[in-house]
Amino acid sequence: MTAPLEARELSLIREGNTVLDGVSFTVAAGEIFALLGGNGAGKSSTLLTFLGFLEPSGGQVLVNGISVDSDITTVRDAIAYLPEATSLYGHLNAYENLDYFLDLAGKSAGRVAIDAALDRVALPQEARTRRLQSYSKGMRQKTAIALALLRETPILLLDEPTSGLDPVAIDEFHDLVKALAEGGQTVLMVTHDVYGACQVADRVGLLRHGKLVGSFAAENGKRIDTETVHAAFAERETA
Amino acid sequence: MSLCWRIAREEWRLWLRSRVVIFAALIVAVLIAATSVLTVNRVSAEQSQRVEQQSAAEETFFAQPDRHPHRMVHYGHYAFRPPPPLAVFEPGVDAVTGQSIFLEGHRQNTAMFADTKAAADLGGFAALTPANLYQLLMPLLLIVLGHAMFLRERESGTLAVLLAQGLSGTQLAAGKALALIAVIAIFMLPLVFIAAFSVTLGESAIAAASIVAGYFVYLCIWGALVLAASILLTQRAVSLGALIFVWLFAALIVPRFAIDASSAAIDAPGKIESDLAMLAEQRKLGDGHNAADPAFVLLQKQVLEQYDAETIEELPINWRGVVASYSEAELTDLLNSYAEERMELEASQSNMFNLFGIASPTIAISSASRTLAGTDLATHHRFLREAEQLRFDFVQGLNQAHIDELDYTLDINRNNGEAAGQAARVNAKAWRVLDEFRFEADSAGDRLQRATSSLFILLGWLVIASGVVILAARKVRV
Repeated sequence: MTAPLEARELSLIREGNTVLDGVSFTVAAGEIFALLGGNGAGKSSTLLTFLGFLEPSGGQVLVNGISVDSDITTVRDAIAYLPEATSLYGHLNAYENLDYFLDLAGKSAGRVAIDAALDRVALPQEARTRRLQSYSKGMRQKTAIALALLRETPILLLDEPTSGLDPVAIDEFHDLVKALAEGGQTVLMVTHDVYGACQVADRVGLLRHGKLVGSFAAENGKRIDTETVHAAFAERETA
Repeated sequence: MSLCWRIAREEWRLWLRSRVVIFAALIVAVLIAATSVLTVNRVSAEQSQRVEQQSAAEETFFAQPDRHPHRMVHYGHYAFRPPPPLAVFEPGVDAVTGQSIFLEGHRQNTAMFADTKAAADLGGFAALTPANLYQLLMPLLLIVLGHAMFLRERESGTLAVLLAQGLSGTQLAAGKALALIAVIAIFMLPLVFIAAFSVTLGESAIAAASIVAGYFVYLCIWGALVLAASILLTQRAVSLGALIFVWLFAALIVPRFAIDASSAAIDAPGKIESDLAMLAEQRKLGDGHNAADPAFVLLQKQVLEQYDAETIEELPINWRGVVASYSEAELTDLLNSYAEERMELEASQSNMFNLFGIASPTIAISSASRTLAGTDLATHHRFLREAEQLRFDFVQGLNQAHIDELDYTLDINRNNGEAAGQAARVNAKAWRVLDEFRFEADSAGDRLQRATSSLFILLGWLVIASGVVILAARKVRV
């Protein structure tokens, strides 16, 4: 069966620097795969190659078996992307933001569907008609997640999704991601939050200086052991 | 296409919600309204005044009593050039060339009554015309509005989200371009109103539409340059700085350089210089007031032979009138040769200046604008030629009256007392030799033809600038 996401010997060189060096992994349907690494490890770059924003210097990235460079439109249609900065328009309110981005994605969603998505991410009703420039980061994040939900894509790419969120919001977010995966969505998230990654992911890959240097999987219905991953992460980061 | 509309709509929503943008737009609207009202009022008044002045000058000339015809040659007449209807938008060279000429015998006077008085009355504000605003200020506003159109998306991270929705860089650029075109279309409204007003003043609809189209293309060129900078450059400050530099270069530096280069490459002496050079040659032609001047010996011989006479007193015509007519024709040939040479040099300078449109779309539009409005140098030169023809015709008409209607003996004795002076006159009906003069702009077709090269240069600019936008948009990266 074709994996929704696959990196084959992925290499990326930018401005003379090696960003990714022979990274290979697959993410199965309904799986949550977290790429863990420090700053500059190449986590976000890996995500961007799946979106076709960065062109690999070597190897291949495949989405649903389709090479990203061969049919970028089909690839992007299959992916919902949540950037690190939760970048939506500050001069628009939540409804306007969602309506606009959905329009661009060729999706139509009425006010009821949008409200349902916003309910699901627990964005307060009173905030929905306020411009996003008055939102906290958590509220912006929720709006961006609502967009991902409304896109109804089979694949979700999350870039540092819990960065800047308070603990309650993080827990809510993790629950939501798990629910999405249980619904069949494939999730690739990159983070430097060891605890969060172990809490939510089915598998965790350790990325360091552009190389995938370790992998940890949840087994027998148990979450990945945070201490083990933390030790490996700390060891490799200080190596 | 619907995606483009959607993107354009969102860009507009951002602009409308940004008070800075609305404030900038208000400033421009006030400036355009002020300059349009001032220019329209001034030019409309000038137009009706000059038509009235032309009629008044003719009536005054015809109303002169019986006189010696040569006194009427020096009494002279005026030719007025009323501003064409589109001068309400583009006064062009009218402000500096002068719009009326005093016509008299033996002289080609300089055009006078430029707009210096009007400029003084308005504290120099008269120089700020609607055309100036469109050529200089509108591009600046486009720069302010659009320099960060793409960069803003990149800096805030929304570019990645936009592209992740399956949007291509080209689609995004097309949407942004559409938003800018809508801005330009709104900027064009005052010009459309002014052009429509000029049609009510008698302007050809084709010329009015052409000038609107020309400025639309011009502003689209700036829109494309602004968009290209926003896509290609990586920081707002750099984009704004680069575009301001391009504006300075295109709108101020190149035109200034083009004027200096044209003047240096084609040295055209001024009117005073050529008058001084001409005086030496003029002296050789003899003095037309002195029939005994040695310069006319050969002419006298020929005329005597023609009429089979021994002396000028025996001639059936007035010898002094013959000399005046002959002298005027010779002198006019000389004056015209100098005038034509000067106008050709000025035209060459103007053509060379227009070529700099290749380096600056501002030069190309200003040239096309003046030509289409009928306020260009070529139109002024035609006015000078037509006024000169009017002068020559009425002077020679009066000289003919001198030849045919005034007895030679009475003529040479005209200074021997009051009675002799009264006798040496011709009937005032002779003043009817003066033709009515109504200067009109060239046909719209002729103006369009003259503006073709500048309009093609503008189109070339648009094609290149749009090409840069398309190429850059295809390679948009997050």
